[in-house]
Amino acid sequence: MNVIEIKNLTKTYGKSRGIIDVSFNVEEGEIFGFIGPNGAGKSTTIRTLLSLIYPTSGSARIFGKDVIESTPEIKKHIGYLPAEVFYYDNMKVKDLLKYSASFYKKDCTARINELADLLELDLNKKIDDLSLGNKKKVGIVQGLLHEPKLFILDEPTSGLDPLMQQKFFELLERENKKGATILFSSHILSEVQRLCDRVAIIKEGRIVKVDKISTLKETTYKKFKLETTKTIDADYFSLPGVNQFEAEGNKVTFIYKGNINDILSKIAGIELSNLWIEEPDLEEIFMNYYKKEE
Amino acid sequence: MNIVTRELNGNRKSLIIWSVGVLFLIASGMGKYASMEGAGETINELMNEMPESLQAIMGTSGFDLSSALGYYGMLYLYLTVMTSIHAVMLGSGIIAKEERDKTAEFLLVKPVSRSVIITAKMAASLINILLLNAVAFLTSISFLQQYARGEEVFESVTQLMMGMFLLQVIFLVIGTAAAAVHQKAKKAGELSTGILLLAFVISVAINLNEKLEILKYATPFKYFEAGPIINGDGLDLTYLAISTILIILLIAVTYLFYEKKDMNI
Amino acid sequence: MNMFLHELRVYRKSTLVWSISLMFLVVLFLLLFPSFSRDAEEFMQVLEGFPEELKRAVGLSIETLATLLGFFSYAFLYIKLGGAIQAMNLGISIVSKETREKTADFLLTKPVTRSQVFFSKLFAALTSLFLTNIAFFITVLAMSSWVNTESNNEKTLFLICSTLFFLQVIFLALGILTGIIFPGIKSVIAVSLGSVFAFFILGMISSSTEDKGLRYLTPFNYFDNQYIIKNLSYVAPFVWTGMFIVFGAIAAEMPIYQKRDVHAG
Repeated sequence: MNVIEIKNLTKTYGKSRGIIDVSFNVEEGEIFGFIGPNGAGKSTTIRTLLSLIYPTSGSARIFGKDVIESTPEIKKHIGYLPAEVFYYDNMKVKDLLKYSASFYKKDCTARINELADLLELDLNKKIDDLSLGNKKKVGIVQGLLHEPKLFILDEPTSGLDPLMQQKFFELLERENKKGATILFSSHILSEVQRLCDRVAIIKEGRIVKVDKISTLKETTYKKFKLETTKTIDADYFSLPGVNQFEAEGNKVTFIYKGNINDILSKIAGIELSNLWIEEPDLEEIFMNYYKKEE
Repeated sequence: MNIVTRELNGNRKSLIIWSVGVLFLIASGMGKYASMEGAGETINELMNEMPESLQAIMGTSGFDLSSALGYYGMLYLYLTVMTSIHAVMLGSGIIAKEERDKTAEFLLVKPVSRSVIITAKMAASLINILLLNAVAFLTSISFLQQYARGEEVFESVTQLMMGMFLLQVIFLVIGTAAAAVHQKAKKAGELSTGILLLAFVISVAINLNEKLEILKYATPFKYFEAGPIINGDGLDLTYLAISTILIILLIAVTYLFYEKKDMNI
Repeated sequence: MNMFLHELRVYRKSTLVWSISLMFLVVLFLLLFPSFSRDAEEFMQVLEGFPEELKRAVGLSIETLATLLGFFSYAFLYIKLGGAIQAMNLGISIVSKETREKTADFLLTKPVTRSQVFFSKLFAALTSLFLTNIAFFITVLAMSSWVNTESNNEKTLFLICSTLFFLQVIFLALGILTGIIFPGIKSVIAVSLGSVFAFFILGMISSSTEDKGLRYLTPFNYFDNQYIIKNLSYVAPFVWTGMFIVFGAIAAEMPIYQKRDVHAG
């Protein structure tokens, strides 16, 4: 079952581009990564899902319901954590969390205390006096306290130290095991690689790829690293499927996508002193996507 | 209900400051009456002779200044200006602040519809306005009764305060509508202030020139003036109707535009 | 210099809007003068029958009122109101916007001292007000020579109009002080509008009671137009008070601004 269904979503601001024709689905129980460079349209897509802004055309459904028509019902089961958290400055952490909980019509006190303990958050401080990281913790507690079925996280780790990031990821994995679906937007690929099952890549407002991380890595790309005895011609490997070619003296690296036999017969034609064939890490795959059309 | 409580808490301090201001205005104004008593009779005589535009410059527009109530009528103008400023600021602020302080990302992802949010904020604002009105009412009554010497003040003051309440509501919804319509939340306060100041200037200009009478409909400050109410004419039905229509219209604008608005954060 | 120019640029639009608004007020009021002067002339005859003490009690001397200068003095009150709002708003805004818009880290990590920052802002604000005043004065001159049938008294007009600038400087200083003491102000216009109107109403009360003590409390009454028209000079004690406020405020502001802890976000 699809928890999120986005169909041909377009949002334009005057003449400037927002997002164009964005479509993808997020299935129940998965951790879905949403990645792209700054300004690609990640936040615009997410804000449309939350009906903070309205699409120019296209539609989105969450839990099978239209995000604009059924917004209050949908939001009962959504936990949202924005990149930058802003709260009512003159409130105490405790009061803000209580206020937040009061929207969900269930008792969240135990959960608030548990989460605050785990994240080492002082509930009696004023929001005003908190550091950026501590405000972020308030955001995490605030997004998790009502045990939502869907988490929407927009670059959630900024401002958290590595230890807290670790705790946060563990929390997310725990919630995911209990059945929660997670939409995780980020430009930090290592965290996406660690957490997510599938990813959508957005670039200049358009989705360029939606796939499983494992598929992206295994079946399509190989990273080749060669050491030759003699210097080879720079254009020796100029065949379709070779990307990010770099040669430095006798060392050559590139990423290859295509029939593995073709490239191996090509390699067989030169004299090697050493050879590595690796899974590229996510970063290298994305560089590939980001750069492709330049 | 939780939003209403939150808004009441959030606006408590400002309400207290405004209440003290209203109290101070009435107290110091009526204190001045006490010091002026006596000169009254001749002043009245003079005032009756004066053309309206001159009276306006004198700031007394046809009030019987020898009576406490007549004198209070003059004060009433400033009282309405003050409470209108409070209302217009409250209205634009209560809607715009979620965008201005970027807390829209908090409130609007909660399981409540935008219309519920607006309704709660409207309710909280109305309570604020009513409380300020009550402060003005009680202070006015207690000071007037001290100076009135047998004059019947209760009914007039009640009507004056009803008029002021309508004025407050009009400016409140001018504020909320401005905040809902304006794309930049920060500018909503300035827009609604501009409207208020313009309305005030128009009302001053009308006092100076009878040919501008027609503009009376354009400025709420002219809807419920103290003079006729004190003379026992009550609230003008035409203006009651205009106010009601205006209020309903602006409430509708607030809901419709806020519902469709892109949160600009 | 870069900071000064930057601030001027930032407030360019607001300076323009305020200048146009004040010019609009001048045009509006002076257009009403011809009909008013007819009203007044008729009343002058009536008034002669009343005792002198009464004229004083009313607060304005009628002989000067029917002239352009007299009428302008009245309209000037509302222009001063607008000008004061502009100045106070500008003062609060220009020193608190770093905190409000969280750009303090940006500005204060640049190789400049805080007093350079402070004075750049102060002079930018003064320049903005000065430009408004020039636009205002030119409009006054043009309009008055157009509507006035008798010969124009430029010197008196200039003396009166200059008080707008002095008043604005006082309110600018008060605004800067407010902005420095409460950098967390979220809605600048709410604070400035509230405070300026409070002073304005205080001024109205003070001028009708002729209460000497109260007069020191509100800058609106430091410059008495009637006195200027008669004597072609200002009232010395109030000029000193005004200067005392301005320099006192700046002296208080500087150390607070320099020693304040600047918090991120």
